[in-house]
Amino acid sequence: MSAGRRDFVSFTRAGFAGSLRAGSFMAWTIIFFVLFGGLAIGCALSMVAQRNPLYSAISLIGVFVALACLYVTLSAPFIAAVQIIVYAGAIMVLVVFVIMLLNAEEEARRPVRLRHLIPVAVGLATVLIAETAFMLTVRGTSRIEPLPSPASEVGLTASIGTGLFTEYLLPFEITSVLILMALVGAITLARRTQVLGMTADDVLNSQALAQAGEARGIIQSGDTAATGRAMAREQIEQGEAAQPSPDGKEGE
Amino acid sequence: MVPLNWYLALSAVLFTIGVVGVITKRNVIAMFMCIELMLNAVNLTFVAFSRYFGDVTGQLFVFIVMTVAAAEAAVGLGIIIAIFRNRESLNVDEANVLKL
Repeated sequence: MSAGRRDFVSFTRAGFAGSLRAGSFMAWTIIFFVLFGGLAIGCALSMVAQRNPLYSAISLIGVFVALACLYVTLSAPFIAAVQIIVYAGAIMVLVVFVIMLLNAEEEARRPVRLRHLIPVAVGLATVLIAETAFMLTVRGTSRIEPLPSPASEVGLTASIGTGLFTEYLLPFEITSVLILMALVGAITLARRTQVLGMTADDVLNSQALAQAGEARGIIQSGDTAATGRAMAREQIEQGEAAQPSPDGKEGE
Repeated sequence: MVPLNWYLALSAVLFTIGVVGVITKRNVIAMFMCIELMLNAVNLTFVAFSRYFGDVTGQLFVFIVMTVAAAEAAVGLGIIIAIFRNRESLNVDEANVLKL
């Protein structure tokens, strides 16, 4: 297995340019880091800046892809693949699905409260950035040197599988229980009929209540369902229609 | 090879952007995505340390963090749908029933 990988690495090194030495290989990793790191930061800033959640989601996918590329340069191909499959594939598809399902439009522009605290925030952020820059530059360079790139087996699928099924078997099994609990929780949360009896919203949503309201003359027959629901809710809140007809309760 | 500090700095920047998003955003889906960004920033730290120490444990942690993120996405989006169904809004300021 390692022989094939070494061949691949040497092939890649030879393929970049005719006279690639080990030094210029390091230069390539720096170029890739700047490229994908800049892409990740740019997409993250775009995600926070966008007002439309759908555009935020697309930007976040950009961050995930850039991070996956960084994982490849960190010789973690398995994590990079899982990053794309699980994050960019499964989770973001779920998020985009919910955004489109709920028809989430642009956020309303709201007035900035605590406007007088903005200079304080900028000052504190400057101090924080200065501290971080001091720690990263002045306090000394990192003494941690990475292992030579092709020799390490760390990050390959086999090493991760070995770790998961020997030393970290218990956490791995616990994650399966966690996933099961999340499955049950998600189904319970998203189910329309409530387990602990009907909520007021269910009653309001039921078609039977609208019919009952129409029979009592609360709702005109020409009204749309939305206005009918709103009017019925008003009546309920005023206590006049606190007890919907038996048909309305058993209709659901 | 890129110094380890660069990866830590990039991770810190991404995490900070995520924190800023959680604090400033009011759309619950946008806040959710900012939390995902913070998780990813931590994942980058794990992978970088794993690479520089030559230890696979960091990548196993990333694996488990991704599992938790997937579970969080399922439950979180279920909660978001429940909130939207009850409040007909995604603004977290309007979901204040528990406030005195």
